Amino acid sequence: MSSKIGVYICEGCDIGPQLNAGQLAEFVQSEYGGSCPVVKTAPVLCSQEGKNLIQADVDAETVDGVAVCACSPRVKWDVFQFGEKAVVERVNLREQCAWTYVRPEADQTAEGEVPETLRMMAQDYIRMGIIKLQKHTVPQPEIPEVTKTILVVGGGNTGMTAALGGAKLGYDVVLVEKQDQLGGFGAKMYKQVPYSHPYTQAMPTGIDKKINDVSASDKIRVFTGSTLSKLEGAPGQYTAVVATGNGDERIPVGSVVLATGWKPFDPEARVVEAEPPKEEAKEGEEIATIETPEIQKGENVLAPLGHGKFTNVITNVDMELMAKKGELLRPSDGRPVQSVAFIQCAGQRSKEEGHLDYCSSVCCVVSLKQAGYLREKNPDGKAFIFYKDMIVPGVQELYYKAAQDDPGIFLTKGDVVEVKEDSDGGIIVRAENTLLGEPMEVKVDVLVLATGMVPTTLAEPVMNFAYRQGPAFPDLSLFSGFADSNYICFPYETRRTGVYSAGCVHQPMLMGAAEDDAAGAVLKAIQCLESINRGMSVHPRSGDVSFPKFNMVRCTQCKRCTEECPFGALDDDEKGTPQPNPTRCRRCGTCMGACPERVISFEEYNVDMIASMIKENEVPDDIDEGGPRVIVFVCENDAYPALDMAAFQGKKWSPYVRFISVRCLGSINSIWVADSMSKGIDGVLLLGCKYGDDYQCHFAKGSELCNKRMENIAETLGRLQLEPERVQQKQVAIDEYDKIPQIIDDFMNHIIDDIGANPYKGF
Amino acid sequence: MAQVKRIEPDLQFIKEMQAAGGESLKKCYQCATCSVVCPLSPEENPYPRKEMIWAQWGLKDKLVGDLDMWLCHNCGTCSDQCPRGAKPADLMAAMRNMAYQNVAQPTIMGKFMSSSKYLPILAGIPALIFLIAWFVTSGFFGLPLDENGQVLYRLVFPQTAFIDPLFGLIMVAVIVIFIRGILSLIKTFNDSPQAPIGGVPVLTVLKSTWQVIIDEILSHTKWKECGGDNNDRYFGHMGIFFGFVGLFIVTAYVGVAYWLGVFTGWDLMTPMSLWNPFKILANIASIALIVGLILVTKRRLNLDDSKFKSSYYDWYLLGVIWVVTLSGMFSQLLRLANVPAVAYPMYYIHLVSIFMLFAYLPWSKLAHLVYRTVALGYARHIGRSPKPQA
Repeated sequence: MSSKIGVYICEGCDIGPQLNAGQLAEFVQSEYGGSCPVVKTAPVLCSQEGKNLIQADVDAETVDGVAVCACSPRVKWDVFQFGEKAVVERVNLREQCAWTYVRPEADQTAEGEVPETLRMMAQDYIRMGIIKLQKHTVPQPEIPEVTKTILVVGGGNTGMTAALGGAKLGYDVVLVEKQDQLGGFGAKMYKQVPYSHPYTQAMPTGIDKKINDVSASDKIRVFTGSTLSKLEGAPGQYTAVVATGNGDERIPVGSVVLATGWKPFDPEARVVEAEPPKEEAKEGEEIATIETPEIQKGENVLAPLGHGKFTNVITNVDMELMAKKGELLRPSDGRPVQSVAFIQCAGQRSKEEGHLDYCSSVCCVVSLKQAGYLREKNPDGKAFIFYKDMIVPGVQELYYKAAQDDPGIFLTKGDVVEVKEDSDGGIIVRAENTLLGEPMEVKVDVLVLATGMVPTTLAEPVMNFAYRQGPAFPDLSLFSGFADSNYICFPYETRRTGVYSAGCVHQPMLMGAAEDDAAGAVLKAIQCLESINRGMSVHPRSGDVSFPKFNMVRCTQCKRCTEECPFGALDDDEKGTPQPNPTRCRRCGTCMGACPERVISFEEYNVDMIASMIKENEVPDDIDEGGPRVIVFVCENDAYPALDMAAFQGKKWSPYVRFISVRCLGSINSIWVADSMSKGIDGVLLLGCKYGDDYQCHFAKGSELCNKRMENIAETLGRLQLEPERVQQKQVAIDEYDKIPQIIDDFMNHIIDDIGANPYKGF
Repeated sequence: MAQVKRIEPDLQFIKEMQAAGGESLKKCYQCATCSVVCPLSPEENPYPRKEMIWAQWGLKDKLVGDLDMWLCHNCGTCSDQCPRGAKPADLMAAMRNMAYQNVAQPTIMGKFMSSSKYLPILAGIPALIFLIAWFVTSGFFGLPLDENGQVLYRLVFPQTAFIDPLFGLIMVAVIVIFIRGILSLIKTFNDSPQAPIGGVPVLTVLKSTWQVIIDEILSHTKWKECGGDNNDRYFGHMGIFFGFVGLFIVTAYVGVAYWLGVFTGWDLMTPMSLWNPFKILANIASIALIVGLILVTKRRLNLDDSKFKSSYYDWYLLGVIWVVTLSGMFSQLLRLANVPAVAYPMYYIHLVSIFMLFAYLPWSKLAHLVYRTVALGYARHIGRSPKPQA
């Protein structure tokens, strides 16, 4: 809590001439007097002189809080740091005042003076900055005891790579494999698609060496024939309950790499999604836990392609196993195979029932590889590949080119219309829309259906979290069951802090890509351990040492925080009192936004602080004289940078809006809207990330929850006899800065023209 | 379902096509850039895209009967623009090479003509024939002179008893072989009907042949339309073509005059006076031939190897024509200089190369003068050529 605040006003970057820094300094002195003992202006505050000016006051302990009234907190953040003796708050006079201000017609200030509307705006921001410093408490991190052991679930190519990576960096690793041997599917493969120069020949899988390395490592403890039956606790302090052949073992672990891989597509499986949990728990009601979908048996969707009907129609998995065994023999009579046809996208890339609606991304190159098996084992063999589109990611193009160059490999786009069995057991494939420009048929010894990959997390919890929200990952249906996330910027993330997914459970991928993925995930697991042992958040607020405090005295056990936390950070006791797990927390404040009793707060970000900031705004009694007022809550992740970019690009907008930065729209408590309204603010705009299936929210659910809470807010407004449209939520991506002026102007026009002034003004 | 073609790729055929100059054919991914940029290809079923996939899939039947390989004049624009380096132009050339190899009977000759390893046999046959003739007339490398002490080639290689009967026989054989070849070619065209372009009237055989001779062969219009920077090819081919036409006229005159002389006793014997109009024509034709050869050879030597490759067929024909032309000119000069020790061997080389040019004609690239003419006529006949003007 700062009691001696120094206010430093920069005159550079158009701020001085536009805003008259001296006048602002006088304003601070007259309004705050003793609580702001130092008020200074400087030509260029970020210069060495400017910095020294502040540092001298901090060192002399004249001030314990610094309000830097200059540019956006997103720039020069490394310059404006003055040690532990002073807390710094950045008042954004450049991007949000000087650069984006346009004088409205109503403002009649004489020429040569700072326009009234601009002066009021700058003063509002300075007041908000000062109150923020006054309400600020320096957070004291909670340092837990951390077990620096990494649990790797899955002993295939990905899991072993992750385990070896972790061990190489000095961490103890526990590797749990369901099968009796290590190796996963990689051990059943004949060869793998190349991932090194010149990318032209299939290469050995290298699995055996990996198995040996893992077995030889004294840092890796291997459990084969074992599963993870429960994961209790929180990052840094997990207890993994491993079900081995000889009973359960309880092993302390710190973080987890999930590498349980994939299963072959089952053409008879039908995925029945579990009932989605109710939108919001009513007070006292039980929390619905996350359920995984159920698998039911249905008709074979590959039957039209002969699967299950003709002996010589097999899948790419069957083909791989056959090649590993040695000879390629026709299943019906054991004769050496002379010709093979491949049908791509079998049971995939279709919305039809029982099909995978995604592309497994590997089957095209896998078919090229398996066509190569035939060519390798039989120089006169012919391999036909019928594809929809040849999907060959990245540098694998070179492998495709090499396969295409083989005289015995025949590629064509085409729609397979019929698969028949000939009297001699041969398979006749008919296709239309081929590259030959006419329908055609081929007769082959074996037909291979290029089926896709299904994640192991599709219908099983796998991790078996002992979390209040349930044993599985939430919302995996967004990713067809893969343990993926929409974190463009945060790969390997799951919705459970401390658990990082890699390999084919993450996304369908080849062995080479899986090794890269494993390396990334294990590094994230290490980053997690090395953050939480300092009491820090891992991401996206990396390094944040604050943590939500619960004032349990006032808690009504409504369980909203427990249910709505996107990361399952909270458990509860029998009465429903939330039990925090600091190391699971990402500090988004969604719980704070959810709490109807406002018992949750951060030391430097809380309900009172923002509410006080709102109250610091000077709201003119008459909208026609002083203009309307609108508070814009801006998500700090994408919307705030977008505002800055818009300012850099010279965009302008209404001088009647006041921006308040929030950690996530999910942290917005509806009381702030009520506070705004009672203050006479005419509208509230919530600017944050995209939500829904293609969400861009950095905390996955924050902006979506905010949107759901809008109903409650509307209710609150209704009680106050106010129009619900006074509060709106808009979605902005970080690159949509050009849309910002339009969004703000539309909202302002809506408030001014359609709704009118807040009737509570002046009360 | 309508009739669906069972596809059975001929792996051996793919390898043969690759060996005959289409080595990059598998690289094609059917983007159709080639057919779009081709200045001559018609809009309906354009070439060379379809030929590329046929070749990739080893569809021998379709390729062997393909009319379009003869509509292509090999400017190489397709290969130049191909994003994959698949060299469609080289494939079209390879298809023609395969035709040279397989259309004319006996095809064993085609095989001999397909690779340089058989060159010693092909050169050895005429070398031996003419060596025997030389031995018979003049003893072992005899260098006889006429009554004026001048070199007279007829003394070593007599026209009545040897040259004319030999080449007459070759001419008859080549004509017979070509007639059979033309018939088989037309049969393959008929068996795989090409799509006629809508709206273009279908011409009679006579009229279409006439149009080909006038509009295409004599005027070389297709050469001009074919490709951008095309002057070397256009003038080069024209020089060689008209050089040959001139020399054909001269040769025909010499043959006729000789036999007229034999029967009438008029002095129409060679060598002709240098001021004889036929002799002047012969020398002008030779110069045209040399200029054409220089242009064409220069172009082939400067080809971008990553886009175009000259095949053995190209070099065989060019090489033989070079030898024929140079040895002919030197034979004349050495005769005039009266240097029997060099003149006779030179003339010997000249005869050997002429034999190699004409006796093997139906299996060499020069056979295009027959096959292409027939195909172009056929194309006009069914309305596939000329490409309608937009």
